[in-house]
Amino acid sequence: MTMKSILSKLKETNAKYSMFHAMTGDDDPGDSKFLFSAKDNLTSCDMETCSGSRILIGYRPAFDATSIARMRSAGGKLIGKCNMDEFGFGTFSSNSGLEIPRNPYDLERACGGSSGGSACAAAVFEDHVSLGVSTGGSICCPASFCGVYGIAPTYGRVSRYGLIDYGNSLDKIGVISAKAGDLRKYIHVISGKDEKDPTSCAQPELKDEGRKLKSVAIPKEGVEGLSKDVEKAFEESVEALKGMGVDVERVEMPSLKYAMPAYYVLATSEASTNLARYVGMRYGQQKGDLSLKFDDYFSSFRSEYFGSEAKRRILLGTYTRMAGFRDRYYAKALKVRQVVIKDYKRVLADHDAVLAPTMPFTAPRFDDISRMSALDAYKADYLTIPANIAGTPHMSVPCGYDGNGMPIGMQFVADHWNEEVLFDIAERWEKGFEMRRPEVVG
Amino acid sequence: MDRETVERVARAAHIKLTEAELEEYSKDLNDILSYFELLDEAPDCEGFGVNPIEVADVLREDEPRMELDPDVLLKDMDTYERYVRGPRLS
Amino acid sequence: MKIGLEIHVQLPTRSKMFCSCPTTDAPAPNTHVCPTCLGMPGSRPVLNRKVLEYGIMLAKMLGCKVADTTWFSRKTYFYPDMSKSVQITQYDNPIGEGGVYYLNGKKPIRITRIHVEEDPGKTKRVGDLSSLIDYNRSGIPLAEIVTEPDIATPAEAREFLGQLIEDIRHVIDLPGDGERSIRCDCNISVGKERCEVKNVTGLKNVERALTFEMIRQTKILKAGGKIDRETRRFDEERGVTISVRKKEFEADYGYIDEPDLGIYHLKEMADAIKIKESPQKMALRMAHEYGIDQKAAKQLVSTSVGLAETFESVAKEMGVQNAVKWVSGPVSAGWKAMEARGGSPDEVVPIIRRFASGEITDTECALEIKCAMTGESAEAAAAASGDLEKIVSEYLDQNPGIVADYAKNDKAANKAIGYVMRQSGGRFSSAEVVEAVRKAIESRMRGLV
Repeated sequence: MTMKSILSKLKETNAKYSMFHAMTGDDDPGDSKFLFSAKDNLTSCDMETCSGSRILIGYRPAFDATSIARMRSAGGKLIGKCNMDEFGFGTFSSNSGLEIPRNPYDLERACGGSSGGSACAAAVFEDHVSLGVSTGGSICCPASFCGVYGIAPTYGRVSRYGLIDYGNSLDKIGVISAKAGDLRKYIHVISGKDEKDPTSCAQPELKDEGRKLKSVAIPKEGVEGLSKDVEKAFEESVEALKGMGVDVERVEMPSLKYAMPAYYVLATSEASTNLARYVGMRYGQQKGDLSLKFDDYFSSFRSEYFGSEAKRRILLGTYTRMAGFRDRYYAKALKVRQVVIKDYKRVLADHDAVLAPTMPFTAPRFDDISRMSALDAYKADYLTIPANIAGTPHMSVPCGYDGNGMPIGMQFVADHWNEEVLFDIAERWEKGFEMRRPEVVG
Repeated sequence: MDRETVERVARAAHIKLTEAELEEYSKDLNDILSYFELLDEAPDCEGFGVNPIEVADVLREDEPRMELDPDVLLKDMDTYERYVRGPRLS
Repeated sequence: MKIGLEIHVQLPTRSKMFCSCPTTDAPAPNTHVCPTCLGMPGSRPVLNRKVLEYGIMLAKMLGCKVADTTWFSRKTYFYPDMSKSVQITQYDNPIGEGGVYYLNGKKPIRITRIHVEEDPGKTKRVGDLSSLIDYNRSGIPLAEIVTEPDIATPAEAREFLGQLIEDIRHVIDLPGDGERSIRCDCNISVGKERCEVKNVTGLKNVERALTFEMIRQTKILKAGGKIDRETRRFDEERGVTISVRKKEFEADYGYIDEPDLGIYHLKEMADAIKIKESPQKMALRMAHEYGIDQKAAKQLVSTSVGLAETFESVAKEMGVQNAVKWVSGPVSAGWKAMEARGGSPDEVVPIIRRFASGEITDTECALEIKCAMTGESAEAAAAASGDLEKIVSEYLDQNPGIVADYAKNDKAANKAIGYVMRQSGGRFSSAEVVEAVRKAIESRMRGLV
């Protein structure tokens, strides 16, 4: 399909999958070299940016996120801003205050989250690359549910200038695509130091010297609690990896079980401070009764426009950093992060990557999601969270399909700044893996 | 986490909760915090880090510069004679 | 009675703390703003090097231990002029801790800590309808100096602040009108429980607010009442403090680390920074070194550190007697006039030298010094100010409307001021230009009538 035909059917395609909240109205690609989309928490001058929240409706940023600007300079045309869980708060993109993307393999099922719209776009459009953002697994989870490749590079690898913050010590911008080679290609485009984001200035250069992934460690903690289909597909893939000459060792990583609570403490503590700025002034929704005293005005505004998961995380994060609780939760979680990093460094001293399935199950149906408790939904992220709290680069690659034909993914985690081995294994894996593209109508 | 604590937290966070929400969040937060008890037994660690990687000494020189036209930034704001409108103070 | 102060000083950087917006006076509300200081979603802070440098200088001046590693924290509170509802400040590991300041060179006032943080914007109060916010001030760097409750009386608080500000002004080259820009949170307890009077501006108001609080608390205690721990504010017009909120309703700031900035290693930076001797220390040293009265030494230093330096160089070369006779006498008397016309003490030292060697008489020396100070003989200075008047006058000739507009609204002068500032390319200070323009317009207005 040509760029032009994709553009001309954009509205129609979106009506079916709801991958985009905002999209281009322009159906002429001009001299663009490629089309791309971006998660709606990355600011874009030409399209409203809402981060999945009703509170930001009407926010037209005056500046492009650095990652979007770099994609544009490389010849990319931004075609849409991808639907997502409100501010990234979710595992299924069903916590959106706007539209909820539908899984290309089964419209009754979720795309995963929180970069659900991005994974959906990458799966549906041919030759498409989408920018996603991961805080606790928000790139790998939807990549796995939508049967595509997704990489979240090392924390600080890609400038966060223009990213609407969820957890500033956790957020990472990455790439989702149906083609393994795009990960290498576009991480090169968007990475690098940016004086507008100090955390991007600590990075060593992105290496690309042909280093291969030769060995993986599979933690015992990473293969517990899996659904039968996921377990089967994963074990078959491990055999296939061995067949490709990759050494496999089973290890223990006892710190992984602490990563989950520590992650939710850090993420919500930071999120609750980031979201404090949304008070119905300055940008986004600003229609309220200004004659209310400011405390009341802010509270009514926030109560009206934040969704229920956003409220839940704000409450949790406000609590975990309050005087009297801060040491038990926030301060302890910072320490646990160091423990998890140490555990990864220990295992990655002898192996090129840590391997486990990406998600313990395949994309659930929306009606099943609505019956999950908040804690159940949080727990679903236990496989993706450790690498995210450690800031280590990680990647989901499609590795099979369940009985309903829903995709399954496995996740490789490399050491800080070693994205190179992930690019290598993705490209080699793609050659031997039989990918089933969804049947796309349109 | 009792109801009173949830109410206190909500007040600090500037979120108004309905009776039903208060009920729901008290339960959810209790479940979640019970699960967080796992942190109490997690090992301690000498290391410290604001970030997962070390970010140190990134500074900007003291040179005034304006990249964006302030009028563009104000275009969608509710303003009055260039002042940004906000709720009343008291 | 115990008094402790939290003193906020704006740091004289050229650009804001976390963005490059200028810190100079803005032509209109919300003109020196960008996504960062407006707290727009997607923006990010980048720290100004100079803020750390000034912070280290002040920490050293106050005898604090400068932290080897420092970082920033987020203090969350909701207010319309706080654009992110989060203030980037310091909580753990501030720039400096554990210092001491000697009031009048004698009484120790312990300094708990000094940290740097960003200023919020400004709210214009407009009745009951809404508030109006100007974010030009948002992100201006502040140093916050926190003392232990070592101050005994409101008068002592004022004296301490006066000396401290003089020292700060000298050490980090704060502009002269710094006093109004000093803001204090004043903690005072007459009995056991303390109250905090927030955000008091200027030395005089600090003393007034504390005095009011002292009397209020004493009265309550005498009547057998109890002081509530609370936050109050000072009403400048009525001279009273008013309760804002009780302790139990105090906002919970929920401090967390600021992950957008990372950490800063200060050791090398601190080692490289040498600070100037503070005026208070200089006065003490001079009294001791030259055997002069402490009051006289203080008088010299508080007139100007330059004057005190002149005293020292004359004393060293021509003896303390000549320094006392001439520098503490006519040179000191004419110093402000000399500064005002941009003169230099280099002109007077040779005159004193000629007196010391017997070339001129006592009377001649006094007269010559007076001329040198007031600049009556300095034709170049006169010519320069003539220049300024000429530019102003030509501009007003071409734009006669300004004079008429000025009668309705004195902001009309800003156009002329702006023009002259640009035209003269910084040869004159803004105060000089403002004065010259105002004078010229007003004389023309009188002419019109």
